[in-house]
Amino acid sequence: MSESAFWNEDWMKTQQKYWEDWTEMSRKAMGLEKPAKSPLESAMEHWWQGISPSAGDMTSDFMGKMMEQTQSYFRMAEGYYKNAGAGDSWLDAANRTVADLRKLFTGSVDNVFSGSETAGDDALHKMMAFWEMPMDNWQRMVSSLSLMPGDLLRNMPHKEGLDRFLSAPGLGYLREEEGQYKQLTRSIVEYQRCLGEYMGFFSNLGLLSVNRMQEKIEEMAESGKQVESARGLYDLWVSSSEEVYGEQVMTPEYAKIHGRLVNGLMALKQKLGQVVDEALGGLNMPTRRELRTLQDRLQESRREAKAMRAELEGLKEQMIELRSQATSKPKASAVASTPKKKAAVKKKAAVKKSRRPAG
Amino acid sequence: MQPFNLRPDQLAEEMLDYSRKLGKGVENLLNAEKIDTGVTPKVEVYREDKLRLYRYESPADVVQSRVPTLIVYALVNRPYMTDLQENRSTVRNLLAAGQDVYLIDWGYPDEADRALTMDDYINGYLDRCVDVIRKRHKLDKINLLGICQGGAFSLCYTSLHPDKVKNLITMVTPVDFKTPDNMLSAWVQQMDVDLLIDTLGNVPGELLNWTFLSLKPFSLTGQKYLSMVDVLEDKEKLKNFLRMEKWIFDSPDQAGETFRQFVKDFYQNNGFLEGGVRIGDRPVDLKNISCPVLNIFAEQDHLVPPDASRALRGLTGSGDYTELSFPGGHIGIYVSGKAQKQVPPAIGRWLDERDK
Repeated sequence: MSESAFWNEDWMKTQQKYWEDWTEMSRKAMGLEKPAKSPLESAMEHWWQGISPSAGDMTSDFMGKMMEQTQSYFRMAEGYYKNAGAGDSWLDAANRTVADLRKLFTGSVDNVFSGSETAGDDALHKMMAFWEMPMDNWQRMVSSLSLMPGDLLRNMPHKEGLDRFLSAPGLGYLREEEGQYKQLTRSIVEYQRCLGEYMGFFSNLGLLSVNRMQEKIEEMAESGKQVESARGLYDLWVSSSEEVYGEQVMTPEYAKIHGRLVNGLMALKQKLGQVVDEALGGLNMPTRRELRTLQDRLQESRREAKAMRAELEGLKEQMIELRSQATSKPKASAVASTPKKKAAVKKKAAVKKSRRPAG
Repeated sequence: MQPFNLRPDQLAEEMLDYSRKLGKGVENLLNAEKIDTGVTPKVEVYREDKLRLYRYESPADVVQSRVPTLIVYALVNRPYMTDLQENRSTVRNLLAAGQDVYLIDWGYPDEADRALTMDDYINGYLDRCVDVIRKRHKLDKINLLGICQGGAFSLCYTSLHPDKVKNLITMVTPVDFKTPDNMLSAWVQQMDVDLLIDTLGNVPGELLNWTFLSLKPFSLTGQKYLSMVDVLEDKEKLKNFLRMEKWIFDSPDQAGETFRQFVKDFYQNNGFLEGGVRIGDRPVDLKNISCPVLNIFAEQDHLVPPDASRALRGLTGSGDYTELSFPGGHIGIYVSGKAQKQVPPAIGRWLDERDK
């Protein structure tokens, strides 16, 4: 397929018209005055808003994830199409698409996708949010471990001078309690620092993914492979992102950042647990620490009890076997003696036979 | 050649087709019946605490092997992966291959199980299940089939109780925990496992889910849901998708003390290779394993890279070691159509040859 045959001006104009007519029709159907989003994306949102209340929690969450991806997929396809319509060569269109993606990650978001989005657009931020998936997963997990929704500490501001204040020794009757709260606050600050570090690590990866996608496009051009659908374009983006992610998270630097994030959260939760235990103790209620001591002791006792029961069962079986051996002994000796007699009889018979004259 | 062949009319058609599928299929999703898992009939033959030992019912027309096989699944996720649905069931195909199949379901540990150690699991629960089966069949030895972490447990068990295992099969089992391509291992090296367990008690399933999804976040938490649209219209395919979805997020919490030892001894200290693993008061030495060993791994496994499993070669004292490489992933080895045709029949043949 030659470039000129496909991307010649007449053909592109015809297709542009088709797309615009179709877009216009969808826009009118939705009753929108201004096409702030792609018609299908808007239709999807509208449709989902109508249907989601009837879905259960699990289905709703599940469909929500799908809708997010659907919107990314549509945005990408539409972005590419608009770029293709603005030029006369696939290379220009591909370069513009890649350049637009790059802009998303460098923050210069004016005129992205041929002006279809402007800075501050929700859709654009959602596109950038693709690379927030690892962070989003972390937040969901933290949320599931906490009474509070989401990771409340993510956006909590902290000042560096706080650390100095927290290092000051406590004084007076409440010295220990004050120290405990200071430690808790220090853990919060430390966790925030780790979280910032973790988010910072991912901030640059979106740009690396765009570069990887461009390399892949160039490889495809050389090898004669083609992307033939919007889905193919989206898949190319996912595989570029996944590749870059896979390389980066295998670095020693990431292992340290990941370790510090998990350790930071655990240190914070441990301090919180201690504060809660103190409060429970003050109310004369059982604490987590006491329960764990009991669990350890109980498990130790159960382990011993099970071992003793197994030993007892073994001994019982041995005893039954010994008993049966003892009761079957006379019979066994009787059985053993019988063949001897038979053998003796056979022997005698053989002797008799041998005494017979031959022939 | 230009790498894009995206015509506007095709794009419009594709989008419309997508939204049509979504609109039509969502009805199926909202009306989806309860997801059933574990399809092969089975009977409970033993229970202890939260553990259940099941024996699967063999088809009437199949001659069963004399020596039963016990499947030891991982503590992570649920064992119904081996019997997910009628046409995707390792268990069913093992039965069809003439094997007498038992399976341990470890259950869902809660805070009261926090203090369970690897000793409790291996020398306690697992050993008692093996004894129950030996007694039922009046045999000294039975076959073990360990899966993933369950494979590591089976290696430990066979090393400590070689007199009770006739043949050992390990499936997607990590042995070398520090191969350069092991993402999980790379991440866990800097984690303070003592702090984690001392803080959380048990390890929540959500934390494990996050870890596993983080291995491939874009495919597993994004792209997958887009692909689902293709199956939404087909009720049966949708059900299969949802069944798998249920399995992925059906993550039991991990008993804290067992998790502590497993991560420290294996992920951080690479105990099978470096030594130093003790279960209860006895050291684990793979050289004690003298029975035949069949080691099965998946070539595209992103959780247990093939080299992590291949490392078993030469580590045991067995003179009868066989490897089976499957062209698929960690889950595909149980549920893909190709796996159904290849893996259980191969296990059956391997066992039959050693049962003559």
